[in-house]
Amino acid sequence: MATDRRAEVKWRGDLMSGTGRIDSVTSGAFGGLDVSWPARSDEPNGLTSPEELIAAAHATCFSMALSNGLAQDGHAPEQLDTSATVTFQPGEGITKIALEVVGRVPGMENGAFQEAAEKAKENCPVSKALAGVPEISLAARLEG
Amino acid sequence: MPRVQREANVTWEGNVARGDGTITAASGAFEKLPYSLASRIERPEGKTSPEELLAAAHAGCYAMSLAGELAGRSSAPEHLDVRAVVTLDQVADGSHRIVASEIHARARVTGVTEGELQEAAEAADKGCPLSALIEASAQVTVKATLEGGSNGD
Repeated sequence: MATDRRAEVKWRGDLMSGTGRIDSVTSGAFGGLDVSWPARSDEPNGLTSPEELIAAAHATCFSMALSNGLAQDGHAPEQLDTSATVTFQPGEGITKIALEVVGRVPGMENGAFQEAAEKAKENCPVSKALAGVPEISLAARLEG
Repeated sequence: MPRVQREANVTWEGNVARGDGTITAASGAFEKLPYSLASRIERPEGKTSPEELLAAAHAGCYAMSLAGELAGRSSAPEHLDVRAVVTLDQVADGSHRIVASEIHARARVTGVTEGELQEAAEAADKGCPLSALIEASAQVTVKATLEGGSNGD
């Protein structure tokens, strides 16, 4: 079954001095998030940006795929802490995404964890959609 | 221009079917947004999902790109409304894939003809880095209408 998720954005003015707002999304989980070009291409000053939202999309997708893979191997995680860092080069595009995950997974061996993390990186739907990013790196480690 | 880095952090607890997670933006713009598998592929029930975040990213990216194109060609838009709808679907091998992102932009901008808007809309799609990435594996469609124009809605 196909699932649709919608986002609505409003923008006023030109690119350099105009302002926008991520007004609403299907779930209602967030809304009213301001965006601007200076905040996107320089210091964020508390504002989100397309690249930060891509980081959020990728980190969430990767975490779900990894938890699924670990559970299928009989090692459901207690906790996964994931960060995604998206590098944006204005004029060039998105040049890198760095994924980092720290897992608390009872009874898991490091080698198997590395393998599961690599698989999640390859197969999660957001990774597939962003496969054209020149570099997607992964650092995975077990805690405890 | 210097390189820009943006970061988000996720905490996930439990397995995929019953577990849930939260997302926090490093900018501070949002924190601890909830998400879960059920809310991702069924009814959202107030929780976000990777695809919703990608829709927000795409709409934001496209809106900025279109504002830049219009300002460069004629005049800065008074107002743009951009909607992105991202579709996740099960494909032949049973896995889930992002199969489409549909952009619909409505523009209120003075002194722009319908033809010029369409040109700007197409250039904005090429100029938005996320469009190019998604197009490699999914369908990106762009529809642009002039508000108050002959086909405005």
